[in-house]
Order: sequence, then C-alpha cells, then structure tokens
Amino acid sequence: MLQITGKGSTQTCDGLTRRDFLQAGTLGAIGLSLADLAAAEAQGKVAPGHDDRSVIMIFNLGAPSQIDTWDPKPDAPIEIRGPFKPIKTNSPAIEISEIFPRMAQHADKLSLVRSCFHTAAAVHDTGHQMMQTGRLFTGGINTPHAGCVLSYLRGRKSDLPAHVILPEPMGRTGGNMPHGQDAGFLGKAHDPFALMADPSQPNFRVPDLLPPAQIGEARLDRRRRLRSIVDDAVKNFEASDSAQLLDSNFQAAFRLMTSTQAREAFDLTKEPQPVRDRYGMTRFGQSCLLARRLIESGVRFVTVNTFITVFDEITWDIHGSKPFTSIEGMRDIVAPMYDQAYSALLEDLAQRGMLGNTLVCNLAEFGRTPRVNPAGGRDHWPQVWTCHFAGGGVQGGRVVGRSDPIGGVPAERPVEPSEVVATIYRSLGLDLETKLPGPQSRPFPLVDFGKHEIKELF
Amino acid sequence: MAELRFLYRLGLLLWVSACCAANNAIADDTLVLLPGEIKLSGPQAYQTILLEESRGGQYVGQATEGLTFESSNPQVVTIDDGVARPTGNGQATITVKAGARSATATVTVSDMDKTFHWSFRNHVESVLAKAGCSSGACHGAQAGKNGFRLSLRGYDPEGDFNTVTRQARGRRIVPSDPGRSLILTKPTGAVPHKGGLRFRVNSLEYRVLADWIAAGTPPPTPDDPRLERLEILPAASVLKPEARQQLVVLAHFNDGHIEDVTRWAKFTSTNESVAQVGELGEVKVMGYGEGAVTAWYLSRVVTATVTSPFPTPVPSEVFARAERRNFIDEFVLAKLASLSIPPSAPASDSEFLRRSFLDTVGVLPTADEARAFLQDPSPDKRDKLIESLLERPEFVDYWAYKWSDLLLVNSEKLRPPAMWAYYTWIRNQVEANTPWDEFARQIITAKGSTLENGATNFFVLHQDAPDVTETTTVAFLGMSVNCARCHNHPLEKWTNNQYYAMANLYARVKLKAAPGDGNTIVFAATEGDLIQPLTGKPQTPTPLDGRPISLDSPEDRRQHLAAWLTSPENPYFSRAVTNRVWANFFGVGLVEMVDDMRLTNPASNEELLGAAARFLVDNKFDLKPLMRAILQSKTYQRSSQPLAENKSDARFYSRYYPRRLMAEVLLDAMSQVTGAPTQFGDYPLGWRALQLPDASVDSYFLKTFGRPERIITCECERTAEPTMVQVLHISNGNSLNDKLQAKGNHLEHLLAAGAPDDKLIEEAYLSAFSRLPTDEEKSRLVAVLAEPGQDKRQVLEDLYWSVLSSREFLFNH
Repeated sequence: MLQITGKGSTQTCDGLTRRDFLQAGTLGAIGLSLADLAAAEAQGKVAPGHDDRSVIMIFNLGAPSQIDTWDPKPDAPIEIRGPFKPIKTNSPAIEISEIFPRMAQHADKLSLVRSCFHTAAAVHDTGHQMMQTGRLFTGGINTPHAGCVLSYLRGRKSDLPAHVILPEPMGRTGGNMPHGQDAGFLGKAHDPFALMADPSQPNFRVPDLLPPAQIGEARLDRRRRLRSIVDDAVKNFEASDSAQLLDSNFQAAFRLMTSTQAREAFDLTKEPQPVRDRYGMTRFGQSCLLARRLIESGVRFVTVNTFITVFDEITWDIHGSKPFTSIEGMRDIVAPMYDQAYSALLEDLAQRGMLGNTLVCNLAEFGRTPRVNPAGGRDHWPQVWTCHFAGGGVQGGRVVGRSDPIGGVPAERPVEPSEVVATIYRSLGLDLETKLPGPQSRPFPLVDFGKHEIKELF
Repeated sequence: MAELRFLYRLGLLLWVSACCAANNAIADDTLVLLPGEIKLSGPQAYQTILLEESRGGQYVGQATEGLTFESSNPQVVTIDDGVARPTGNGQATITVKAGARSATATVTVSDMDKTFHWSFRNHVESVLAKAGCSSGACHGAQAGKNGFRLSLRGYDPEGDFNTVTRQARGRRIVPSDPGRSLILTKPTGAVPHKGGLRFRVNSLEYRVLADWIAAGTPPPTPDDPRLERLEILPAASVLKPEARQQLVVLAHFNDGHIEDVTRWAKFTSTNESVAQVGELGEVKVMGYGEGAVTAWYLSRVVTATVTSPFPTPVPSEVFARAERRNFIDEFVLAKLASLSIPPSAPASDSEFLRRSFLDTVGVLPTADEARAFLQDPSPDKRDKLIESLLERPEFVDYWAYKWSDLLLVNSEKLRPPAMWAYYTWIRNQVEANTPWDEFARQIITAKGSTLENGATNFFVLHQDAPDVTETTTVAFLGMSVNCARCHNHPLEKWTNNQYYAMANLYARVKLKAAPGDGNTIVFAATEGDLIQPLTGKPQTPTPLDGRPISLDSPEDRRQHLAAWLTSPENPYFSRAVTNRVWANFFGVGLVEMVDDMRLTNPASNEELLGAAARFLVDNKFDLKPLMRAILQSKTYQRSSQPLAENKSDARFYSRYYPRRLMAEVLLDAMSQVTGAPTQFGDYPLGWRALQLPDASVDSYFLKTFGRPERIITCECERTAEPTMVQVLHISNGNSLNDKLQAKGNHLEHLLAAGAPDDKLIEEAYLSAFSRLPTDEEKSRLVAVLAEPGQDKRQVLEDLYWSVLSSREFLFNH
C-alpha cells in the first residue's frame, strides 16, 4: 500500500480507512510520477532533529520605520527621532517605541536584531525575495521561500499542507518582480497553500473547502472514479510542469476536502470569543489566531502577511503621501492592530506551551530613512532595520547588533538577509549544508557558502 | 583580405547548408585566433588573445594547453601570457602554435609616439564602475553613501568629475601626492572604508586613477573619444557542460581606436543553469540549452550566446526529413538541430482542431463542428479551417479582449460611457483588421472627445508624460524604460536624457472636461515642455534613438513620435507585436517575458524572430498573414506529446507546450459544453466572458483563475498557474456545479432525447476534447454509468464533472 503522507504522519499501513483508499485511488487517477515518489521518499530521509519545530513568519509588508518602532533614537535631532517617545519594557535590555504598549509587556519573550541590512535596490520586491528566500533572484533563478524548503524537505505532517500563507500572497508593491513567496526552482508542487479569504469576516470560511450539499460521499467517490478513467488517457502532460502541478493540486485538494482535521483547523468559530477579541477582530489579528490553530493541527510553516499591497491601503509604507501611508496612519491604525495581535500571539503560544517549539519571526523588506521627509513620512532605506525573533529556541530579552546614533547604518554586527533565513533553518533543526535540487538538478545549498544563523539569538 | 574573408564566409554558408546531410567531420577542425585583426593604439593598449577551436564555422571550445606565442616583429608587438602589448608603430603577425596546428592574427600598432592620458570619461568612470564604487548599493545610490555620491555606473561624467575633484573640500584628490588622495586610500583600505577593499595598490585600476591625478585630473571634454559600439568575442560558441570559455570585450571608439575593456566590463548571465560567468568574463557551462552572457561597459551592452547541445546525438536525417511548410519551420528546425533536440510527431486532427480554435478565437469547437472536421476527407481541411477561424465573429471577441488587456480597458479607472467608447474603438479596429501600425498611430496621436474617439481614453488612463511614455514603450515596444526615469537604464542602452527627450514628446497633451458623463477632450497644446530634473531644462523632443524635432516646432509632437514608432525601420515595434502574437499561439514568447524585450534578454531564436518581424513588415503590419503563417507551420501543428529527448525543452518549440486555458476561455468553454451560460452582472444572459469589455466585472471564477486586473500594461498581470484554490473551486465551488445542475442545460436535453450511455460519453468527449473516446475509455466509463441504483441525471452530471475537471479539458495541448 502506497502512502504519500510524508514524515511524521500518524497513519500506518494497517487500519486502512476509506479516505486512505480514496487517496490511493487518487494517486492512480492523477498518475503521480516516479519522480514525485522519489521526492516523497526523500522526505523521510532528512535528519529527524527538531521535527516538532514549526515557524510563524510574520512579514511586515511595507517595511516599518526602525526608528519609530523597535530602534528608537531619543537623543537624535527631532527630524531624525520623529514624533514618538521610547518606553521601557519588561526586559531591562529593551526599549521600544510608545506605539507598542502591549508588546512592552512581552519583550522578555523576544530578541531584536537591530542591524539588518541589504545592498540591493531599495524597492519592496527585492527585500521580499531576500528576506524570505535568503537570496536575490538573479540569472533567471528564483530561489524558494524558507517555508517551501521545509515543505520539500519534510513534507506534510498531517492532512493539512506543510506551508500555508495567510490571508493571501503578496500583491503589487511597485517593482513588478516576484516576491519570493513560492517554491521557485523546487517546483510549484511545493508552493504554499494560500487561504485567499479574510478570517475576520463574519462568514469566514476557506473558499470551496467543502463539497456542495448535494454531492454526498457516494457521488464524490463516483466522480473520482470517473475522473481517474478520463484523466488516464493522456500522456501529453508528462513533461509539463504545469500539468503535473495540477495533479498534485488535485491530490492535495482531495485530501484537504475529506479531512475533518483540516475542516476544524480552519474553523475559527471553535475559538471562544474572548480569545478572538484578544487577537483583535482585524484581518491580521485573526490571521495570527488562525496561524496558531494551524500550527496546532500540524502545519509546519505559516507565513502571515500583515498587508497585501502598499497601494491605497494603510500600511507600514509611510512615505507620507498618497497612495501610501502617513506617519499618523501608522500610529492610529497599523500599530494598534499589530501591537494587539502580536502580543496576543506570543502570550497565547507561551500559555499553551507552544512557544518553545514555534519560532515567531517578524521580518520586513527594509527600514526607512532616518530623516523625516518633507511630506512628514519616511522613505525606503535598506541600509539598516530591525527584525525580531521569539520562541523556537531563541532566547528572549536580547538585543543583537546596533545601529548608529541616527539609525542610519549598522554600527555593530551587521546582519544580512541570508543570516536571517539561516536562523529560521537552524531553529527548525535543518542542516545548513543540506543541498536542494537546483536548476538542471544542480545541488543548491540551503544558504550560500559561509553564511550562518545569528548565533547570538540561541 | 576582405575578399578572402568573403570567400571563407561563402564556403561556410555552403558548408552549413551541406552539413545537415553529412553530419560533422572532425577533419575540418581548425584553430582561429580572436581577434583576427588586432589594433593597438598608444603605449597603454593591450589585447587579450583567444585561441579557439573552430568546427564548421562554429567556435566549439577554447584551446589553453601547451600554447606557444610568436610575434613576427617584437619591435612592434610582444606577447606575454596571452596578452599582446605594443612596442613600436608598425605591422606584425602573431602566430600561436598548439602542437602541430597553428593560427595567426595581424597586428597594427599606432600612436606610440603620442602622449597618452587616461580619460575621466572613458577610463576613470570605468574603474569606478567596475570596482563597484558607482553601483546602486554604494556611492551610485540615489542618496550616495557617506556624503559621496556618484552617478549610477557613471552615466554623468561631468557631474562625477565635479564630485570627485571639487567636493569634500578637495580631499578626494591630492594633486601634489596622488597616493594620499581619498579616492585611492579608501578603496585600497589604507584608511578605513565601509565598502571594504575594492582594488590593490599594484593593480591597473590603481594606476589609472593615480596617473590621472598625476596628469592634473584632466576633465571630461566634448572632444573625448566616444564609445561607438561594443564587440564581444566569441559572439557565439557551442560548448559542452563543464567547458570554460574566456570572453573578450572590445570597445570601438568614434576616432577609430579600439580598446580591450574585458577587465572593466560587467558580466551577467541570463540563464545560469546553462552558463555562469565570472567577474572577468570567464564562462563556465553548467548544463544543456542556450544561454546568453551580457557585458556592460559605459552604458552600452553586448551579448554573447553560449549553446550547449543536448547529449543524446540525433541523426541529421531527423531534421532533414522533418516537414517544412514555411520559414518558421526552417528556423525552428535549424535551432533544434543545433541543440540536438528532435521534434515531436505531427498533431492529430482533433488536437489541431481544438488547439487552433482555442488559440485563434478562444472558443472550443462544438461537438458538431468536431464531428464534421474529423470526418472531412479533404487533404487541405486544416488550411480551410485556418481561413474560417480568421474570419469568425469570435475572432473579433478574442483579439479585442487581448488588446483591451494591453490597453487597460477598465471601468475602475474610466467612467462607463468612456470605457465603452474605448472598448468599442478597439473592437472596431479588430473587426476592420486595421494594420498594427495604424492601430498604434491612432492611439498615440488620438485627440477629441473620449466618447466620440474612444482611442483618446489612452490619455485619460495615463495623464502625465512619463506615465504615458512608459506605457507606450511597454505596449508597443515590449520594453520597459522606467529605470531611465531616474538614471541610465542599467540593462539597456537608454539614458536618463533619452528618457526625458522621449517623454517630452507627450508634454503638450492636455485634457479638458466636457459636458456628458465620462466626456473629456484630449488635445495637443502648442507650448509646454517636460523638464529633465537633472539639468533643470527640457530635453529636445526625440523618440528614443530616433531623430529630434525642434523645441519650438508647433506641430503635434506625437505625429513625429508615431512616425518613428510605426516605421518599418523601427525594429522594436515589429518585433514586439510579432512576439506577442507568437506567444499567443505557442504559449512561450520567442522573447520571454513579452513585456521584457531588451538587448540583454535575447530571443530563444533570434533569426526566427527577425524573419517573422520582417514578414509582418512585408505584409504591411496586417497581423492575419502572420497568424496564418504560424497556424500553417508544421511547428505549430506538432503534437504536445514529448519524446524522451525533447522532454526538457521548453523554449525551442520541439513540441507544442500544454498550458492551462486562460480564465475567460475556460469559463466560456464550461458554459458551452454544459449548455449553461454564466450570468455576468447586468449583462444579458449568454454574454460570454470574452465579450466583456472590461476586467472589473465581478467574477470569483475569473479572479481565481488569474484574470488580469488591467492596472499596468504587463502580461505578468495574467497568471495561468494551476493552484489548489482553483482545484477546490472546480471540485466544490458553484461555478461548475451550478452549470451541471442548471435547468434546461445540454445534459437535460441529452437525457430527454434518450441517448444510450455510449452516445452520452461520445457527446461529452467530442464537445470537451474534440475527439471520440477510445473503445477502452468507453467501456470503462459505461461500466460505471451502468451501475445499478443510480440517478441517471446525477450520473451524467458526474460524468461531465470528471470530463470538465480533467487535464485534457483544462489544458490546451
């Protein structure tokens, strides 16, 4: 009996369930290729260390201003330090901006890296690529998102996909380049599952997760049998990545549709209202709560985009002029939403004893200009910004690296995007020497030679 | 000499045409020295020499082992470590021996008696660019770095000269003691430098800067020799994986002198899975296929092609015997032969029928149409089908939709009456088969009321001159010039000045409100200019590399732009639309992406794209002959079934590449097969997705399957990747399930007619796949349909569901 369940599955060969039968049928129907099988087998052969580890990556699309958030510069001139004051936190080493009062009570759980920088063009898209894949896309090679690498190496742990993006993948941010939120050269079969819905909506459900009422189990079964006959005939698709992908999508979709576990994981009404309120009834807040539920149900990696685009939406992208955001827009709308959800997530994970095994990393594509611009905002600044990490083996209450007195460049321990991604891999227990099958099957290391995790965090 | 070369080329041509029959012969391997004619001007000149193995006129590898170099006159030229250096004016011959074989090159040395100075414009800027000083990550950033700001990769020599010599209280330069200049102490690490070590004290880079300072920092002058063109050697080579090949870049200046600038060129590879390139131009072949390596020097670029044939030998008869219908087949087969990729077998009638319907008119053939075509015994039935497709009313729907994507017809940005006027204008042009040059001209010179002349809405969507310039170049030249808005384009030859000169052609387009919903008058004023921010002055209006017109000419400048844009001599224009049409039929553009045409992104088959673009020009920009040539070609009529040897080909058209149907076509096809139309907003029932004038009509299906939003002109707005969300929607969503259940649909008619199971299956197959089921398929399906105790209607719905969710339906193949 062939079972493509990946490492960590609780299913065994005996005690065949109806769903297992359907899966085997589906495999035949979809003609899962030998290469896929080999990949699935390979998934079981990866070093088993930290298989219980997972990641919630919060990507702060738009890019927060380091000075107005996690790296205040109260001694700098007014045109640098901006309108906000620093506040003390429950960790003696950390002071943060007053716009995050709730986070001040959880600073002991997280550590800041105040010296991130990159040297690529200062457009959002390049930073998205580098921070999520560890590399800038060049020479036609699109490197995979860390969550897709994990999905490739370890496979799924339950009926749920290994990597989920909430609420949807990044959209336009002006550069018209890929954002690094897919599996790149690993192939679309390892792309994340994107929710494509707003979990804070009253009627929220995963679109089309369940068959319509008139299609009962018997018809579902018949449809699959018929489809397996119809789809059997055509050999034209074996060389088409796109057609093979459709195969694996049907396979994954059938699995998701028939899984009670999946249905429940996505059902936010199972949460008591006070818990939902603690996260905030915002798209980001409910995405964070959903991320926690998904991790509990066996999803290995959840990427939460705080925003989808920088245009005509109030985001971290505080240029101060339309269609972007003003500094007040950040203070009044973005910061409270973020402060509430992020603090709730850390508190909740800690209370449930999940924080030790769940890395929560907060990334952004760059920082913002130290000097406030004439529109009262701040522009793109990849020279320095702050990222922060909690859980997953990271010690809380630390500050790694330092920016100069105006928050303009790293003054100590500069940290590159590749080191951030290496930190994620190391928290997951992946060997940085692991080779992925790159373009034309060339071995492709997880991170470039000589790059390591940020050791000071662990 | 010239005559000799001509004879050699002629021989080469004859050989190449003969080679298809007689597959290679090691016997005609020769050694060739590159460059064959070396010119060295002045004492600082040098030239790297390459010894190449040549087989049948192709460079097939660099010889590096056991070479001996000899100069016929060491008083003229000497050779040291493969580099020729001048010693005195005159002529000489260089001979390189490798074992028993040898090759020669002529050398002319001149200007040894003239005093030589490194020039700021050509040499100092090159050093600063290559060392990374003026890169975007360092001092070339918009804001500079640590108070030192250079123009990005040296596009502004006058400004940079000022910055280097005058700013920072002159500390960057110490004329009395060049070695203490910051511009030397910083990059060599003698004083702390955040950018690290850029070059060493004993390097040529150091010497150029030091000598230039010692010579009194001569400024850039209008008389400096200007770079005319770049040459790269070898421009094309055929290599195996693991092979290494040094590239040499020659700069030809307008005073006739040539410099070896390999050392200062910046190299990039367009396809690193085929070839990688090092900092100094050393290529390493990584895999099979074709790659291009680009060298950038002083805002010019040049490209070398590296071909790495697939390892399995293919008998030359395969290519010789393959059928040819027209020039497309000739060029495709020549490319396939060079890469050793065999073509797939011809497509069956039903494959061709379904494919040509979908690609030409965006609808499926009905079951009746399929039956009639399959039963038609006439040998020219494919040609007849092509002619009828080009004249069908659905042709107008489909291409009007395509061009509406390109021109962003959208009621989010336009009032509905204006949106309708814009769409109707496009539709009318398609219906009248307006040639593409006329189509483009009418848009970019449009004037009058947005309700009366729909084309004017182009200027309502793009209201400022830079915006309309960028959209014009993407839509009609397939080219993005956005980078040049702030600085010289890093990947193209377009400069910041050229950008503003082009944009100034649109500076006088004005809008004024007029009575009526969505009514605006577009007109050309007789004065007004766009200011180039770098100089504070307007640039003389000039279409990219076209001719300027006077700043005070009162004519509508757009006429001048249109004349340049649509000229048969403008290669960008004909190539761009040819590539768009090509990509429509083959799924993969000759240049990928279709909106990213640039020198540094060559076509997968340059000769073919060139020939197809000429074909379009010869047919006076009428797109239909091009479509006909494509549809008739044996290349288009190939099966999508891969062979073991062409499985990994996705660029060279050895087979038809299956691709998912585009969102609108897929939804319409589901409506047609089930006989249950989709209701779109307030549109009449039966109105198809491809007939929608604008992309903002709400539809979960279309959004999920990747309909573009029509916000920016870019094919990348449309996605064809299958996702799990799509699969869930097909399985559980209401789009397909509602159609299957709909009252009065085809399923209901079939049941009412009392068709037996095997007829039901045939009907489903013909309407969805344009073919009859095989006996095996029929018997297996009949077995399921005949199971006892089932509701007949539900079984039929499930059969149709399985057909409409299969890959054979969802894909064009």
